[in-house]
Amino acid sequence: MRHLAWLLLAFLSAARAEDVLHLYNWNNYISDDTLARFEARCRCRVKQDYYSDNEEMLAKLEAGAIGYDILVPTGNAVESLIRRKALRDLDKSQLPHLSNLKPEYRRPWFDPENRHAVPYATTVTLIGYNVDRMKALDLPTDTWALIFEPRYLKRIHGKVTVLNSQRELMAAAMKYLGHSVQETDVAKWEQAKGLILRAKPYWATFSNSTYIKDLAIGNIWVAHGYSNDMYRAREDAKSAHRPFTIGFGTPREGAVLAVDNFVLHKSGRRPDLAHRFIDFMLEGPNAADVSNLIGAGNANAAATPHIRPEIAAEEGIFPSPQTLARLEMLRDFEPKMRRALSRMWTEIKVR
Amino acid sequence: MSDPRTQPADLTKWVVTLPPTAFLLVFFLTPALIVVAASFGEPGEFGGLAPWPAHSLDAYRFLFGDIIYLEIFARSFLVAVLTTLICIVLAYPLAWLIARSPARRRDLLVLLVMLPFASNFLVRIYAWIMLLGPANLLYTPFAVIAGMVYVHLPFMILPLYANLEKHDPALLEAAQDLGANAWTRFWRVTFPLSLPGVFAGSALVFIPVLGMFAVPELLGGTGDILIGNLIKEQFLENRDWPLGSALAIMLTGAVLGLAGCAAWAARKGLHGTEAIT
Amino acid sequence: MKSQHWLWAASLTAYAFLYVPLAVVVLFSFNDSTLNAQWVGFTTHWYAKLLGDGEMLRAAANSVLIALLSSSIATVLGAMAGLAMHRYRFRFLPVLVLTPVAMPEILLGVSLLLFFRQVLDLTLGFLSILVAHITFSIGFVAVIVRARLAGMDESIFEAARDLGATPWATFRRITLPLIMPALVAGYLMSFTLSIDDFVITFFVAGVGVTTLPLQIYSMIKVAVTPEVNAVSTLLMALTLTLIFVASRFAPDVLKAKA
Repeated sequence: MRHLAWLLLAFLSAARAEDVLHLYNWNNYISDDTLARFEARCRCRVKQDYYSDNEEMLAKLEAGAIGYDILVPTGNAVESLIRRKALRDLDKSQLPHLSNLKPEYRRPWFDPENRHAVPYATTVTLIGYNVDRMKALDLPTDTWALIFEPRYLKRIHGKVTVLNSQRELMAAAMKYLGHSVQETDVAKWEQAKGLILRAKPYWATFSNSTYIKDLAIGNIWVAHGYSNDMYRAREDAKSAHRPFTIGFGTPREGAVLAVDNFVLHKSGRRPDLAHRFIDFMLEGPNAADVSNLIGAGNANAAATPHIRPEIAAEEGIFPSPQTLARLEMLRDFEPKMRRALSRMWTEIKVR
Repeated sequence: MSDPRTQPADLTKWVVTLPPTAFLLVFFLTPALIVVAASFGEPGEFGGLAPWPAHSLDAYRFLFGDIIYLEIFARSFLVAVLTTLICIVLAYPLAWLIARSPARRRDLLVLLVMLPFASNFLVRIYAWIMLLGPANLLYTPFAVIAGMVYVHLPFMILPLYANLEKHDPALLEAAQDLGANAWTRFWRVTFPLSLPGVFAGSALVFIPVLGMFAVPELLGGTGDILIGNLIKEQFLENRDWPLGSALAIMLTGAVLGLAGCAAWAARKGLHGTEAIT
Repeated sequence: MKSQHWLWAASLTAYAFLYVPLAVVVLFSFNDSTLNAQWVGFTTHWYAKLLGDGEMLRAAANSVLIALLSSSIATVLGAMAGLAMHRYRFRFLPVLVLTPVAMPEILLGVSLLLFFRQVLDLTLGFLSILVAHITFSIGFVAVIVRARLAGMDESIFEAARDLGATPWATFRRITLPLIMPALVAGYLMSFTLSIDDFVITFFVAGVGVTTLPLQIYSMIKVAVTPEVNAVSTLLMALTLTLIFVASRFAPDVLKAKA
């Protein structure tokens, strides 16, 4: 018994002595190479936990998850975190490379004074698909109708997945119906709910992360998901010599744009390491990794010369101005609206 | 003559009973009561629960306001029943075979049953993801049932085996001498005697299946959500703890109700056989 | 004779059902491809990657540590509970001890989450997982100990008392040796339950403290490379070894359950 106590003590104290940066991040949002380079430079360790949805991250934090130094929330989640005073102020003196940010990201609507958030990457929530299958079935790939209309879904029954996210899926439905994703008229959301329930029997499953592999393997032919995940699926399929290619594109009715940011959670134990990490990621070549290796859009101007041309030309990753005009960012709702929508989501799951 | 067990050590009684009782009162009963209280609470502004005075029947009103939520309870119970029945059918021959084997081989055979059980529960689900994907059966109700059965089968095999092993072969010989064929011998001698094992195994399968969310989440499709998934979603995605608590209370009530019915039926059954003898 | 054949066929089917899926997992752990789609070639690369995977090893260490600690405490408390249930006829005790066993795990997980966060305002982590595991293990140990005591001849204890033994001496020299197989069985059962637990741990785990099942869960959702297969194979090998050792040490483990 005594030996056990010593073991426990040693284990606990060892955990504290190391320089560890706790990062709570989306899965597949920072490459191992980049992390390894940072770990070498700071002579520390980065420990990542993953989430696949902002709501999941916020719920875990609310359930008492403490000790994360850096989170990577999307704009609306940043707003929520600021409101509940969960974030540390940034010490700009520790972030000399902050000026690398593109001008349009310097005063985001969720953090106009840039006190808490450093924009990192952008993604578009769109449709990824198996190019060969879609061509063979003569299906349109530039519209949300592909995942909402039974006349198309009939041909791909059981081969479609959608995001397991109330905000994202309902936003896609709203966009298809021609409404804003920030609509406050509940009746319009009920319309969206009806659309989803009508299409639900044709979908294989709700998936936030497994669709990447499913697309690459060929189990699934159409997936509603994030642009960087689709990029990964495309690369995976290519490197595994699958007999098809994966394509992805923003539907013409519009979509959700997400700007994901580094923020410091106030319960983090190593704000010093956190600042070093953020500054490291603000350097041009490191920031370029998020586009070259992950396939996400980039908020960093100094990264542009390092980004591979074929990625910079990818419409789904770096939307053109015309497309940008049709994209909307999600914002948090008032509690009453939020409750109504989450109840609607429960109903969608059950019906 | 007074019972020596209760005589001297009233102190011993408390020393032995207090620690586990205290632990369970604090870490089981109190949390259970908190769930009851939480089901009458209001969601906090950022999730969690609103500070104490806020209370409402809103969660229950929502759940009882639409038959669909009772339907999902029914669906979960159906899956549990189906899983249990399939487990019984699959487990019985195997348990019987092991029980009838010579003693030396018996241990080996039991070990062979335990080995899949020895892998991590998620690994067993993952094995089915690997198998069903190429077969185009992933994300279907079949996948959910297959996964549930696979994960719980050893819980049925072991109690059944433990019971069958105690059966006296002489009973079956006597039945055979009296002219009973194989089926009759099974149905009228073996099966009734094995009922306690069947019930024990069924309880070990039925109850875990009711609350399980991992199998429907990883193997199931859009229509295969069960009650466990709903509960989990309220806590970890919807930030609606009162609704999640209300669902949890209803599930507890259903399980306790079933346990009560089972106990009542068992007692009646016992009295039935007593009347005969 | 026909029924014999039928019996064998049915049993072989059951064994096949048990083993084929796992065989596939083991086989593909040697697959030279990042996608678990088709067999490409043989490699042990994934095992090498696994052994270098710090997070996995830490999760494994956490799981083992929690299992060791929670089983020890649960065995002590469970033995007390079993003893009390057998000797003293408190009406409430069986209900209190056995209900955690009879409830679906999600209820325990949710209630402990609420308790830790809303009442104790405790940071979820190692301690919360430990307490949760002890809570659901006590019942199992108690049942096994009580079953063992039920078959015992009470006159031994009477004799000890008549000869002037104190309760503690009676316990140490008579009760304890007699219930030792039950304690061992209970310990092993708690250990297995703790190491394999997913649902309850899922709700009460905190930052930086992952257990092996949670780690595998996130791998299944995110990575799905043959590394998951490799971890699964190693786990099976490890637990088989443990079971083998246990069956030598305490052959009554399986029978004690009935």
